[in-house]
Amino acid sequence: MTEMKKFLLAVSAGVVGVTALHLAYNMNWSDIRNSRLPPDQRKLNVAFIPVT
Amino acid sequence: MTDYISRHSDAGNLFLPRLFQGFPEIKEALISDKMQAGFMVAPMAIALRSQGVPIRIVYLGHRYGSAVVVRKDGRIHTPADLRGRTIAVPSRFSDERLIVFRVLKKFGIPISDVKLVEMAPPDVSGALAAGAIDAFSMGEPYPSQAEMGGYGRVLFHAREYWPDYISCVLVVRQDAIDRRPQVVQTLVDGIARSGLWLEKGRPYREYAADFVGRFYYRQDPALLRWALTNPLDRVMYTPLSPYKPDFDYIRDMMRETGVLDRGIEFQDYVDTTFAEGARHKTAWIYEPGSEHAR
Repeated sequence: MTEMKKFLLAVSAGVVGVTALHLAYNMNWSDIRNSRLPPDQRKLNVAFIPVT
Repeated sequence: MTDYISRHSDAGNLFLPRLFQGFPEIKEALISDKMQAGFMVAPMAIALRSQGVPIRIVYLGHRYGSAVVVRKDGRIHTPADLRGRTIAVPSRFSDERLIVFRVLKKFGIPISDVKLVEMAPPDVSGALAAGAIDAFSMGEPYPSQAEMGGYGRVLFHAREYWPDYISCVLVVRQDAIDRRPQVVQTLVDGIARSGLWLEKGRPYREYAADFVGRFYYRQDPALLRWALTNPLDRVMYTPLSPYKPDFDYIRDMMRETGVLDRGIEFQDYVDTTFAEGARHKTAWIYEPGSEHAR
């Protein structure tokens, strides 16, 4: 494997890793799933702040 | 709390909770329909409805649970000592501001003799510790945070001067009420059942402090444990039905203090249908740490 191929492989692995972490931690999948449901089946989004 | 327990029930989670850091952001999210429901301070809900925003108050979030806190080593020992001081409140549209007005009036201090500043709730304890403010009027757990940190002392709890004190209310967009009343009823039922569950005693409150702190508020569970158990009635979760006299008083105080420019009737900003529907609900059957709720 050439140095260039190693470099590209490392970069690709890094991009895939960061993307996977982003998808896991920054995306709100329950929100996305909910927004794709028909309006009459969606759950309500309820806002709160950390105060009683 | 309702979300956590309902996830353990056969019905699954009833709604999608979304954490915000301030009431103005919740207001914008409701107006833009990003949120269909939310918890906010009662005067803000009344003001929004008065301005034509299509929301209704359907339930309370809790009763009591606000306090005016001063520096532990400071010279403020009675409300009369607040004259000339800087006091932080969460919003000009908040019951925490109204309680300051009410108490100052009782002690014959004109509001012009204090400086009120608006501050996001998570910032007030730090501001008090740093000496940037002399006092704050805020809901829990921020009074508890100042007490636990050793730099704050509760000057008075709101209920000492306002026996029927309420603060956070649940508001729902009118279109959600019109189109999906059963979903709103399920939400209110869940909150009612959670309130009754919390009032079953100290172990339930301690367990709630643990999971709410870790999974929802991102706060130290010990802080919430302090707020929920020191003493047990520091914050109450029954009764949560909205009562007209409580709201008439808030509305009148808002007009008196210049944050509401016209009168608005109770039935125009409160929908009691769902509270009435939840009246006979019973507490969640859920033991701390168990895997199943019903």
